[in-house]
Amino acid sequence: MENAKACSISNQDAKLAHMSFAPDAADVTRQSGPRDRETFYKAQKRNRRATWRIAALCFVAALVMGVPLTLVLTPLAYALTLALAEVINYFSPLPPEFWTTVNGLSHLALSVGDYFINHRGTLDLETLAAGLVVMLAPGIVITLVLWIGVLALFRRGGVGGTLASLNAREPDRGDLKELQLADTVEEMAIAAGLPSPRVMLVDSAAANAAAFGTSPQDARLVVSRRLLDDLERDELEALLAHLMGSIGNGDLRIAFTVTSVFETCGLLVTLINSPFGKQSRNTLWHVVRYGLMRPSSDTARSAEAETVASLLTGCLDVGDDDIDRFFNKKKSAWRSFLYFVFLPIIFSNLVIEVTLWFFLSILLGPCLALLWRTRRYLADASAVALMRNPDALARALKRLSQDATAIAGGAWATHLFVVSPKGDSSLAAHAFKPADMQLAARAWAESAEVDAASTTTGDAASPAGPGTDDYTRLRAEIDATRRAAMGGDAQAIGRLMAFGRAMAMARGIRVPAEMLHAADLAAARQGDQAAIARLRALAGGAGQNEAKRGTTGLEAQSFLSFHPSLKRRLKRLERMGAHYSPEAHGKTPKTAVVVMTVLWLIIAPLLLAAAAMMLVVIAMLIMLNLVFVAMWLAVIHGIFALLGHGG
Amino acid sequence: MAFIVLAASVLLIFITVAAYNRLVSLRNRMQNAWSDIDIQLKRRHDLVPNLVEAARGYMQHERETLEQVTSARSQAVASGSDLSARIPAEMLLSGALGNLFLRSENYPQLRATKNFQLLEEQITSTENCIAYARQFYNECARRYNTALAIFPQNLLAAACGFSQATLFAAEAAERAVPQAHT
Repeated sequence: MENAKACSISNQDAKLAHMSFAPDAADVTRQSGPRDRETFYKAQKRNRRATWRIAALCFVAALVMGVPLTLVLTPLAYALTLALAEVINYFSPLPPEFWTTVNGLSHLALSVGDYFINHRGTLDLETLAAGLVVMLAPGIVITLVLWIGVLALFRRGGVGGTLASLNAREPDRGDLKELQLADTVEEMAIAAGLPSPRVMLVDSAAANAAAFGTSPQDARLVVSRRLLDDLERDELEALLAHLMGSIGNGDLRIAFTVTSVFETCGLLVTLINSPFGKQSRNTLWHVVRYGLMRPSSDTARSAEAETVASLLTGCLDVGDDDIDRFFNKKKSAWRSFLYFVFLPIIFSNLVIEVTLWFFLSILLGPCLALLWRTRRYLADASAVALMRNPDALARALKRLSQDATAIAGGAWATHLFVVSPKGDSSLAAHAFKPADMQLAARAWAESAEVDAASTTTGDAASPAGPGTDDYTRLRAEIDATRRAAMGGDAQAIGRLMAFGRAMAMARGIRVPAEMLHAADLAAARQGDQAAIARLRALAGGAGQNEAKRGTTGLEAQSFLSFHPSLKRRLKRLERMGAHYSPEAHGKTPKTAVVVMTVLWLIIAPLLLAAAAMMLVVIAMLIMLNLVFVAMWLAVIHGIFALLGHGG
Repeated sequence: MAFIVLAASVLLIFITVAAYNRLVSLRNRMQNAWSDIDIQLKRRHDLVPNLVEAARGYMQHERETLEQVTSARSQAVASGSDLSARIPAEMLLSGALGNLFLRSENYPQLRATKNFQLLEEQITSTENCIAYARQFYNECARRYNTALAIFPQNLLAAACGFSQATLFAAEAAERAVPQAHT
């Protein structure tokens, strides 16, 4: 007890001291606490410094990753320019100065390459620098331009799209729990001295919360309804304090930058893939359309921004892509010609994908994950500073970590949530389980009964009577009704509403007061994305909510989790005065530790060797790429030389 | 040599201006935080009549308690901006409200009404807001005071007439006040 009092600042009033005293007998007897106590001021300072350190590390990692990327991109850029020049030259001869410049540049690059690879020749510093610039600059410029473009593109995106994909709604001030939420948000905003962010609720079975946005001014807090039902008021307050602290510390900006790095990589892959297939061209088209969109239609814009973002991060997933499909097509003379034309691009594409995959998952991804972890620790410390009650935060974190379900539609942004939704993908949550299907069928039948009872007009449109378990037919029917509802059919709307209620009831989700607005429908007909999303969520209660975000969260790109482990977080909270319950201390037995150490000692060198092998492979691929590009250029040059003589 | 002196003096001027501006912005933030406390106190004044109205029907035997709350509120409202009168009045109101909620434990019917629950939540939230606004004010004041006191800036502060801010300390009386349930 004295412990908690000591940590709460002396000028705190009775209420706060009061609230941190919820000690059970065990806590009173166990008074030792950790020896290295730390004030939250100190903890905040320490974590801020750690952020700077790791940010520097990330910068270095990005540079390291940039070198091989540039070595691939630069020759490609040169080759494309030269091929274009050859074509132009054929029709209208370019000035001879152009060719002499090209010659000079290639000589410079060659001599530097020779110096590095064969250790032959001597170079003065000036030539070396010039050669390096020639070899690296185009790639660097391309990447930087892409990155700045992505930053500029998404800065105006807003957060509406995210909210639409999460099916978030406004809290209802008439409901005690939701009023409490709105109030606690305001309290925390006052404590942090920030503008009060808008808070949105998600009717989800998962208990979690997140902050979205690009700056403290347009920040939105998203809280799942389950959270309100599970947590006490002070625990809820602690979680919100964590989020407000994170907003106040400028995490939104950092999250934005981190995401943009991944999106840039995605855009790079898309650009290089675009000659080969529809998927990439489609993505590119989305990007361009989004870039040209008028800033007036706000909701549509943010929805589009979100689509683009998810498409881009989706590109990074290794697997079935356009290139495979390109090669799987039937062979013909035209195809062979295409293969030749695209040869350097195909090979560069391969190299870039391998390089990106390797460096993102082993170097940059983990660095960014570590960066994000320090931000979480910092936000924890800030939460304690705001609320002066480390106990509540510790309890809330423990409570949340106990269940691991993801909020549907939020899988791509898992790093923004307070605790890691360990289910990781909304796919798992929304797989068609037999139980779900039966539930849906029953709910649909029930809603038919309600419908028939309320509207006496003989409803013939219910072939899926009770007992039908043909799920696909059921889905088709629900879809048809939904379309009818979108068209403004009042009966269909009634049916859908009844169905939604029945589903929600069967799943134990509280039925929101207004699940289906007539206003929503009207808006949806005019193309309001958010309204459409809400409608979709309503119909999606049956489990057919296509998990469109898939598993493309940033966490998929790094072998380290973006969230610190609960144990570490609790330990740090304990140092700031939380009462850390003994069962969480659960020490691993000594033998396990020994076994793990031995295993690691064996595995670590193997992993290192594998990484080194990968590096060698990548280096060889880059070399091969250079050779291919050179050969390609030589052949093209030869063809044009012949043509030139003939003409 | 002259160039170096010139550069140094320009730099010095820049640093001084920056430090002065920082002090001013810190002071403004602090004053802003102070007025935020005021806003919350006012909000509480507005909520109290509703609460008393909601409770009146059920708490027939607690006329005294209700009257205490009403009179404490009117005192607090009447005290205006005079701090020396206002702070005790507000504390009296806090005490009276706490007492009201304590007594309301005896009236389960009252506690079961939704209106009362919502009002209680609002009052609780406002009390919390007052506490947090105060905490934020203290935080701002602490930063401002530190900025005033550290070495090169204290010369500037003294020259420009910045004075230390007082922290908002909770009175011992308020510490003893029973709090509403959350």
